[in-house]
Amino acid sequence: MNEERLLKLFSDILQRLLGDDSIRLHPDTVRADIDGWDSFNYVNFIVAIEQELCVRFQVADVESFKTVGDIADETLRLLED
Amino acid sequence: MLFNSYTFLFGFLPVVLIVFLALKLRSVRLALTWLILSSIVFYAWWRPWNLLIIGPSLGVNFLIGRALLAVHGDKSRATLARWLLGAGILFNVCLLGYFKYANFTRSVLNDVAGTEFVLHSIVLPLGISFITFQKIAFLIDVHGGRIKDFSFRDFCLFVLFFPQLIAGPIVHYREMMPQFHALPRRMDREALAVGLTLLALGLFKKVIFADGVAGHISPLYAGAAAGAEITLIWAWIAALGFTLQIYFDFSAYSDMAAGLARCIGPKLPMNFFSPLKATNIIDFWARWHITLTRFLTAYIYNPVTLWLTRRRAKSGKTLLNHRQPALIPFMKILAFPTLLTMYISGLWHGAAYLFVAWGLLHGLYLVVNHAWRLFAPRYLPKLTRSSGFHKSFGFLLTFVAVVVAMVLFKGPTPQAAGEVLRGLAGLNGLSLPGSVTDKLSSFGGLDIATDTSSARDLILAAAWVFGLSIIALLMPNSLQLLARYQPVLEDIETVGRADGLMGRFFRWQPSFIWSLVIACLVVMAIVNIGGPSEFLYWQF
Repeated sequence: MNEERLLKLFSDILQRLLGDDSIRLHPDTVRADIDGWDSFNYVNFIVAIEQELCVRFQVADVESFKTVGDIADETLRLLED
Repeated sequence: MLFNSYTFLFGFLPVVLIVFLALKLRSVRLALTWLILSSIVFYAWWRPWNLLIIGPSLGVNFLIGRALLAVHGDKSRATLARWLLGAGILFNVCLLGYFKYANFTRSVLNDVAGTEFVLHSIVLPLGISFITFQKIAFLIDVHGGRIKDFSFRDFCLFVLFFPQLIAGPIVHYREMMPQFHALPRRMDREALAVGLTLLALGLFKKVIFADGVAGHISPLYAGAAAGAEITLIWAWIAALGFTLQIYFDFSAYSDMAAGLARCIGPKLPMNFFSPLKATNIIDFWARWHITLTRFLTAYIYNPVTLWLTRRRAKSGKTLLNHRQPALIPFMKILAFPTLLTMYISGLWHGAAYLFVAWGLLHGLYLVVNHAWRLFAPRYLPKLTRSSGFHKSFGFLLTFVAVVVAMVLFKGPTPQAAGEVLRGLAGLNGLSLPGSVTDKLSSFGGLDIATDTSSARDLILAAAWVFGLSIIALLMPNSLQLLARYQPVLEDIETVGRADGLMGRFFRWQPSFIWSLVIACLVVMAIVNIGGPSEFLYWQF
C-alpha cells in the first residue's frame, strides 16, 4: 500500500459517507475544504479506514491530524507495524 | 488584574514587557524565567491565596507528567501508564469539581431530596476551568507520546503564561513550547507592532462596545430578576443586546490575549472568528470559543463517538452515511455524544441550571443541524440545494437560535430568563414609552400599552443594538484586518480572508494613517475606562 492508493481509498470512503462522488482527497486537503466533513463524519471516516485496513488509531491522535496527508502517514505507519 | 485596568496597562504590562525584551537581548532563558515570575504576580494580584491551590496542583501534574514520560514506550508498563494518566485526570477533575461544583451538587441534592444540607461558601480560584482543561490535555499528550520531554520551568511557563492564564485560549503544550524555545534574542518589531495593534483593538471593543451596550441592557435583566414584565420590543433589545455584549466582550478578550502573546513573541491559536456570521450552528461552534470546542471534541466527543462507532462496525452493521441514513443509529452514535458533550460544555461554563439548559439547547440545535444534513438530501431534496437563499435563511435561523439561547446564558435567575423568553415570544404583549405611544395614537387605530421608560432610552438601546449588529455582521474581524501579518497560529488567508470592498479598505499595515487610527481608538478606550469591568469569560 502506498500513499497514492491510500488517497484513492480515502476518497472512496468519504464519497460513500457524504454521498458525494466528486470528492477527491489530496495530501494537503483539510476538513474545511470538503463541504459537510464535520466532526461526526470525520470519526465515521476514521472508523471506516480502520475497518477497511484492519488498523486502529489512538483516540488522542485522531484530533491531532491536520491534513489528509497526516492521516495517510499514520495509516502507513500502522500498516508497517 | 484586569487587562482593561490602568494598573495592568500602565503598570504591569510596560514593566513586564520592557524588562522581558531587555533580558531577551542577553538570554532567552532568563527572559522566560522573568515571564514566569511576572505571570505569578499577575495571577496572585487579585487573591494571593489562589497560589496555594494552583501551586500544589502544578507540582502534582508535573510529577505525574514526568512519571508518564518515564514509562512511555515500555510496553510492559502500559497498564501503569494508563493508571497514572487516569489518576492525573481524576486529580484535576476532582480539584475542579470541589471548587466549582460542590455547592451546585449540594443545591441539586437539596432540590431533589428535599434536604437542607449546608456547605460553607467556596470561592472559585481564578481561571481554574481553563487551567484544568489545559493540564488534562498536557497529561494526555505526554501519555500519547506527543510530548517527548519537558522541564519544570517549561511546564510552569505553559500553565502560567499570563496572556492566556485566566480565560484561555486553551492551548496545547506542543503548539506553544516550540515557539518559546525558538524565540530570537533580537527584538521582533513586526510582532510587537501587530501585538500592540491587536491589544488596542481588543481594549477598544471591550471598553466602548461591550461595556457600552451593557449599560443599556443590564437594567432590563435586573428588572426581569425583580419580577418586572419584559414586553416584546424590550425583550428583543435585551436578548440581542446581551448577545452583542458577550460577542464583543469575548472577541475583545481573545484579541487582547493574542495581542499580548504576540508582543512577547508566540502566536496563540485562533479562539474567535466572527461567529455571528455563521450560516449554521455547526459553523457557529467552529467560530465561537474555538479552543474549547477543540478540547471538547478531542477529549469527550471523539472518544465517545469512536467507541460507539467502533462497536457498531464490530457488530457488522453499516456506518451511518448519507446514502442510507437511519434514525436509531443517528440517535445512538450522533445525537447522544453531541448532547453529552454540550451538556458538559454547559456545566463547564457554570455550575447552575441555566448553563446546563443553555448547553443542552445548543446540543439540540446541533442534533437538528446534523439531522438536516443527513436526512434532508434524501427526503427533502428540493430544499437542500445550495443557493444564496438557503445560506441567508441558514444565517438568519442560526442568528435567532443563538440570540434566544443567550437569554439562558445571561440569566441571572431562571425566573429572569423565563421572563425575557416570554417577552421574546410576545406573551407579555407590546409596550412603548408614553411619548412614543402618544405620537402613534395620533395616527389612530393603534392600541399599544405605555411603559415607564423614556423615548430616549428606547432609541439609545435600539441604536446600540443596531450599530453593533452592523459592525459584527459586516466588518472584517481583527484577525482578518491583520491577516497579512499572521497574528495567530492558523493561516487567516486560508481560514477566511476578508474579501470585497470592506476587506480591501480594512487591511492593517504599519503606516502613519493606521497608527493614527489605532492611537485614536486607544485614547477613546483609555478615557472611557470606568470602574472594574471584568471580562464575562473570567468568571468561568
